[in-house]
Amino acid sequence: MLTAGELTLLGRLDLAYRRPQSGLYAGERRSPRSARSPEFSDFRPYVAGDDFRQIDWPAYARLEKLMLRLYVAEEEACLNVVLDTSGSMVMGEPSKWQTARRLAAALSFMGLAALDRVQVGALGGARLPPMRGRDGVSRIWTFLEGLEPAGEAGPAELRLLLWARPGITVVISDFLVEEDGNWAPPIAGLAARRQEPVLWQVLAPEEEHPSIAGDLKLVDVETERTRELTITPGLVADYQRALTAHRAELARAAQSAGGRFLNSSSADDLEAMMLAGLRAGLVRRA
Amino acid sequence: MQFLLPGAGLALLTVPAIVLLYFLKVRRPEVRVSTLMFWRRFVADRQANAPWQRLRLSLLLLLQLLGAFVLGVGLMRPGVVGAAGIDATTVVMIDASPSMAATDVSPSRFGAAVEKARSLAGQLQPGQEMALILLGDHAQLLAAPTGDSSLLRSALDRARLSGTAGDFAEGISLANSILSGRPGGSIILFSDGHSRPPSSPARVVAPLTYQSIGSTGENVAIETMTRSSSGSVFLRVTNYGRTTRDLKIEWRADGRLADVVPIKIDGNTTSDLTWSRLPATTQVLEAKLTPGDAFALDDTAWLVIAEPPHHSVVLVTAENGFMQKALKLRPGLDLTTVKPADYKPGRYDLVIFDGFVPAGKLPEPALLINPPPGDGPVPLGAAVDPGSVLPGDVRDPLLSHVSLKEVHIQSAATVKPPTGWRTVISAAAGPLLLVKEGEPRDALLTFDLHHSDLPLQAAFPILVQNLLDYLLPGGFENQVFAPGQPVTLIAEPDARWADVTGPDGHTTRLAPAPYPPFTATARPGVYTVRQQLSSGERLSRFVVQLQNPSISRIAPGAGPFVQPLDRPAGPLPRGTLEIWPYLVAAAIVVLVLEWLVYLTHPTRSLIPRRSRVTQPRQGTIPQRAGEVRR
Repeated sequence: MLTAGELTLLGRLDLAYRRPQSGLYAGERRSPRSARSPEFSDFRPYVAGDDFRQIDWPAYARLEKLMLRLYVAEEEACLNVVLDTSGSMVMGEPSKWQTARRLAAALSFMGLAALDRVQVGALGGARLPPMRGRDGVSRIWTFLEGLEPAGEAGPAELRLLLWARPGITVVISDFLVEEDGNWAPPIAGLAARRQEPVLWQVLAPEEEHPSIAGDLKLVDVETERTRELTITPGLVADYQRALTAHRAELARAAQSAGGRFLNSSSADDLEAMMLAGLRAGLVRRA
Repeated sequence: MQFLLPGAGLALLTVPAIVLLYFLKVRRPEVRVSTLMFWRRFVADRQANAPWQRLRLSLLLLLQLLGAFVLGVGLMRPGVVGAAGIDATTVVMIDASPSMAATDVSPSRFGAAVEKARSLAGQLQPGQEMALILLGDHAQLLAAPTGDSSLLRSALDRARLSGTAGDFAEGISLANSILSGRPGGSIILFSDGHSRPPSSPARVVAPLTYQSIGSTGENVAIETMTRSSSGSVFLRVTNYGRTTRDLKIEWRADGRLADVVPIKIDGNTTSDLTWSRLPATTQVLEAKLTPGDAFALDDTAWLVIAEPPHHSVVLVTAENGFMQKALKLRPGLDLTTVKPADYKPGRYDLVIFDGFVPAGKLPEPALLINPPPGDGPVPLGAAVDPGSVLPGDVRDPLLSHVSLKEVHIQSAATVKPPTGWRTVISAAAGPLLLVKEGEPRDALLTFDLHHSDLPLQAAFPILVQNLLDYLLPGGFENQVFAPGQPVTLIAEPDARWADVTGPDGHTTRLAPAPYPPFTATARPGVYTVRQQLSSGERLSRFVVQLQNPSISRIAPGAGPFVQPLDRPAGPLPRGTLEIWPYLVAAAIVVLVLEWLVYLTHPTRSLIPRRSRVTQPRQGTIPQRAGEVRR
């Protein structure tokens, strides 16, 4: 799925969560709770029943008050990776599907390497149970290799996703649906389920800058619907304006749900996509 | 309104053809895409391509129909009868005087005149004819009367400016001969009023319309540039306009900028300037007025500083101080004076025999002054009182700047000009000065200079210089000629050929001597002549530039005064004004508009989108147009 060089690259990176994550088990993510850890968090006055071992005796010597040292708790975070497996993902040269699948594999690897709770699934399709630790890498990759893009998938499928724990949900898709697909309500629904939505759009270069021209019959690869058009430079310019507006709408929907929107080209390599993640604050240097 | 080519109305069949094409279904190649969502809003209006569907009215269709209709009508050549200004036979005269080179109208007066004539040629209708006359040094018939516009246009392409003022009298004479016997003719003159007027009002057989070309008289010219013996250069600049001009004179020595002198010159005044910073080794000096004005021909002057090749001249005379002094005035002349008894034939560029003719073959070229009766190439008769002195031809270059009004001659030999000789100065009793034309050249004065007051006149040294120009090899060296004036290059005795290089770098090789007149002198500047001699190469130069105040005064003048010979009776036939050029222009505009609409709004429909949406019934949830279509 990924080369050794790419794994080395991913080893130097880590996922960046905006909010402290509260998990079931200890991990490497900052938790809203306090616990024993090397990282100091705060002081608070001693009350009856507190553990004597946490009393800060130097502070007592200075203030003649019993104070407790509090430490940051580090727990696991939940990373949910949702991959669009609709038929439109096979389009493009290079294929959007290959790029999106590699991206899902990379994000899963980074989550597992940081002892996060990682769950991978297809939009409107099968899902793996949550994995933890590097042992889950091979299972997730095998699962991804077994997926084949076909059929339709859209915003409605995003509403069906139910997550047990709060965390990040990364949706990797081209977000191209047939007519009037509105992504804002399901994205808002993710936020309601305590998920930070991250929309990662992968488009082919041909879709960003169409080079077709003349009298053509366009066929939607998912629905087989057709449209007859005379493609002119003006029409292509209108197409690109509509695409830009669509992206702005996705970004607005993600931001209003407390999330982020990223876009990559299927021609980008993994390093370029990670750079996009760095720019968007989804990825940081470990 | 009439259609001159009604058969071309078949082109209007393109209108229903376009409508038919809108019914035909276009076979389109399939392209699979991820989604139609970004193409969707352009799709609906293009479905008019489906066969036998109701034809939807679109802006593109309307524009295409309009363009096809306008083009079809234009092909039928519609015209408005009586609207054009062309008569049955029109003689168009174009003034080719140098002043027509002024650029106060675009591209120039001459160019504008040619364009107007071209426009008239394009309006010719069946039965109408046009002739073209170019008024140059002589009137030139560019095109005989013809109704073929292409012939007239190609003739206009050959029209070139002349170096001298146009001869209006010759042009009118030519136009009269064309129009005689042709009723309903007219003459149109495109001019700036600087053609040479006839000595008496010209008589015309048809109405003459004078169309003045030009808009300004503002022009500053370099009138004269000469060099004194002390080495200073004298320049005379004249402002023929009304406004004061602040100018600069750029002095260039052999092409390199040597000095810039400011000059302020009021309107209608002349300013003289002396410049003494001439670099020592300068061959050619150029003075140029900057910034230029509408008439560039007189803004630059050249002066050849390099000394011309020396010529050896022998004067065989008993005593003639007048001639000796006149000859010594010419630079580059190696003069030898010998008595007749001491004369021995030798290699001389010119031999002047005064009152003496050697026995045997006469050396050539030669100037014979009062030869003994019966001797010489032209036998002379007895001496008589010649009477008043008259020029043979006032335009003879040998009499340039020579005034003969105050000249009196006591006695001169009678002579009958032989074939090949022309009379330059004559009197009642016969010729006084004869020159032999062709090569080699000779000249003959039939009177003793001591028996006339000619040597005492200012005309004498000028006449001698003109004779030397004519007789000596070269003759053209360092001289100034008017643009377009043919230059006669007199070959050196052993010259093989001569290359003449103009200011534009173009070189013309002249045939072996005697050379034909060099006529390619339209461009002002310095011309270089390289003669190949048996002893080597001889380099000399001459200058072509405009130094004519009557031409530099470029303000458009009044039309020539003419007298009608025979006023035509009745209304003149008028031509038909064709309007197809306007229709073609309109069609081009429509097609460009259609193209822009196609590029920007390819499916702009005149039918409001709302009318194609199914209206929801009351009580149901309103649906959007896209959902209804699905």
